[in-house]
Amino acid sequence: MAEPAALSTRASAKKPRITLRRRNSLLGYALVAPIILCLLVLVVYPFIFGVAISFTDREVGTEGNFIGLANFIYLSKVPSFQKSIINTIVLVFWVQLLKLVLGLSIAILLNQAIRGRKLWRGMVLLPWAMPAFVAYLTWQLLYAPQGGAFNLISVGLGFGKIDFLSKDLAMPSVIFATFWRGFPFWVISFLAALQSVSQELYEAAAIDGANAWQRFRHITIPAILPVVLVVVLLSTIWTTNGFENVWLITQGGPSDATMTFPVLAYFGMQTMRIGEAAAVSVTLLPIFAIMAFVGVKVLERD
Amino acid sequence: MQVRQRSENARRRMRWLAMPMVAALLLAACATAPPAAPAAPAATSAPAATEAPAATAAPTADAAAAPTNTPIPPAPTPAPGRFTYWGGLIFSDVANKMLEDRIKQWGKEKGVEVDVVMINQNETVAKVSAAVESGAMPDALDMGTGLMQTLSKNGQLEPLDDIFKKIGDDNGGWLDSAAASVDPKVYGGNIWGIPFGLSGNLINRRDDLLSAKGFTEAPKTWEELGKMAEAVNDPPKVFGMGFALSNVGDGNLMQTIMQTYGGRIADDEGKNCTIDSPETRTFLEWVTGLYKKGLFPPGATTWDGAGDNKAFQAGEAAFIANPGSVYLNLRENDPDLLAASKFSGLPAGPKMTLQPYGPNVRAIPVKSDKKELAKDLLAYLADPEFMQQYYANAIYGPVLKNQLGFAVFKDSVIHVGLLDMAQNGTAPAFPDVNNPAFNEFTSNFPIPKMIQRVVVDNLSIDDAVKETQAACQLIYDKYK
Repeated sequence: MAEPAALSTRASAKKPRITLRRRNSLLGYALVAPIILCLLVLVVYPFIFGVAISFTDREVGTEGNFIGLANFIYLSKVPSFQKSIINTIVLVFWVQLLKLVLGLSIAILLNQAIRGRKLWRGMVLLPWAMPAFVAYLTWQLLYAPQGGAFNLISVGLGFGKIDFLSKDLAMPSVIFATFWRGFPFWVISFLAALQSVSQELYEAAAIDGANAWQRFRHITIPAILPVVLVVVLLSTIWTTNGFENVWLITQGGPSDATMTFPVLAYFGMQTMRIGEAAAVSVTLLPIFAIMAFVGVKVLERD
Repeated sequence: MQVRQRSENARRRMRWLAMPMVAALLLAACATAPPAAPAAPAATSAPAATEAPAATAAPTADAAAAPTNTPIPPAPTPAPGRFTYWGGLIFSDVANKMLEDRIKQWGKEKGVEVDVVMINQNETVAKVSAAVESGAMPDALDMGTGLMQTLSKNGQLEPLDDIFKKIGDDNGGWLDSAAASVDPKVYGGNIWGIPFGLSGNLINRRDDLLSAKGFTEAPKTWEELGKMAEAVNDPPKVFGMGFALSNVGDGNLMQTIMQTYGGRIADDEGKNCTIDSPETRTFLEWVTGLYKKGLFPPGATTWDGAGDNKAFQAGEAAFIANPGSVYLNLRENDPDLLAASKFSGLPAGPKMTLQPYGPNVRAIPVKSDKKELAKDLLAYLADPEFMQQYYANAIYGPVLKNQLGFAVFKDSVIHVGLLDMAQNGTAPAFPDVNNPAFNEFTSNFPIPKMIQRVVVDNLSIDDAVKETQAACQLIYDKYK
């Protein structure tokens, strides 16, 4: 066993060469280098830059000075910021819950041998295919108290006018529009996962006497769980960062009833105080970090 | 051994194949896009709510009578590369096209390749912010004085004192309002923008409805306007008060009204907020009282920038405040409603009358490598013959004395109002101090939000005022 090692040592002494293993490693590094470089330039650098300027009083066109936590302390005193924390949590929670329940239900339905299945599968994608700007502007027109389509129908049916954008209904209205725009992604992802579950498992379970709920609980859910987790993670990040859904429907109003982080950051940008605007966004980082950490851990476990 | 040899050969071949691929991938994946027209954003759609009005009759005022420009010195040799201009889109497609054509014509005459990018003015701040940070500002652009103040403070604009003087001299001098709007005393010792039009709100009212109730004259005070609005209020068909109370620029009319009631944002030094005052409370009681009587349309607290326009154009509002876009729309699309409408200046409050004008200026970024050319263009755009035709299609008040005689300021009802505003209007922020703190305060719409807190959240007048005072002081403290 010692001989090859000794030979190798002698060979190395004669002609210094990198080992085959190391050469393969180098080749591997070379192959992934482009994507790493891109990630560094396009993701890591902007990320670190954004975090760094949140600790400065930087305005557009200036370098800014380090001011420690002053931006965060200022934000904590702004009533809109406090409301935006609650509103963002409420918005994300309800949108994700709706997407999960209805998205999964629709995916299961579309996984059955129903008539016109291909057509339905195509149609379910339409909201997601529509540009967000157009979609939310349309929802704003539908909700409009004056001349809005929902109110025309409501009045036509004798229910009178409903102010969908009032204090009490503005958030549910935004939640529903956001759900509508985003649920197709969930449906398609769940559908793909459902199609990968072996039919033999269901057949075996049925033979063993498992009912529909038991088959769903013990076969379907474990099989699609990794997809569910990834979809929840991605969609939560997208929904939390969503701007058009709130801006185009309510501009954060009335009276901050729908004010969320991205809209608040936009208001910050309007004054060109980018340090402050960055601080609003950076506040979300710990939440995203926890979500990403949990998501990765669960995926690893599975 | 043979297997090992084959494997080694295969790896060697692979290495030779892989290296160029890696190099190619590296270049392809990370290569930056070629620098297109300096960060030129895609032209955004024209502001909503209006169609392009037909070109108005050619101005009858004799252009010849207008003072002619002194010869503009020949433009310097163009620097390499294209000249980029960011124009602000306004509600008249005809005027937008005129500006674009004029700049292109200048480019042809000077032998300069020109890109004119028309930008939705709601997006100017965002686009300029991105352009400044990425070092991709255009060679000249349109903006408001709020943005001009921030950019000049941060050293991003070229001083334009020389060209300002030259344009003034060539055109009979600047109107006091235009000169005050770029006053070096306010903006750190220099002139940073060349005014080209004053915009501001006029009251649009449904004369047919009001006359039927015996109100044949324009309201002289806000109190009177409220009473007139109440008289014609007939919800859900017509709402008396079609004024925005939402987090948009239109909502800041409420700030102006509050000032006419004697309420002030800050003290005379512009350092400490003074919102918490009896005058502010009186104003807030008045406006929330009207809201509670049902005079504001539902949704006024969440309207976007076109909400009031739509309400008036749909015949659902008796009064709105608008800079002229509604007039242009009605002229094109609804002559009957136009005939039933009248336009007037903003009414007086208990303490003062305010008719704020919003100056629009052309500026040159300090990093432009074509500054002399840009100055030449600004002088070219101030040509009286061009401006006469431009004003006929745009909704701006004049800025230069030779423009006072333009036909449009006698013939068009809305332009008569804009002329009056240019001659008798009040400077932005007045009676408050126009400083960066005031601009940040205004950008966050705290006065409409204060109203929302009462009418939406049922907060007491007292609590709403105190909350707004505290929010205001937080902002002003940052600038101390």
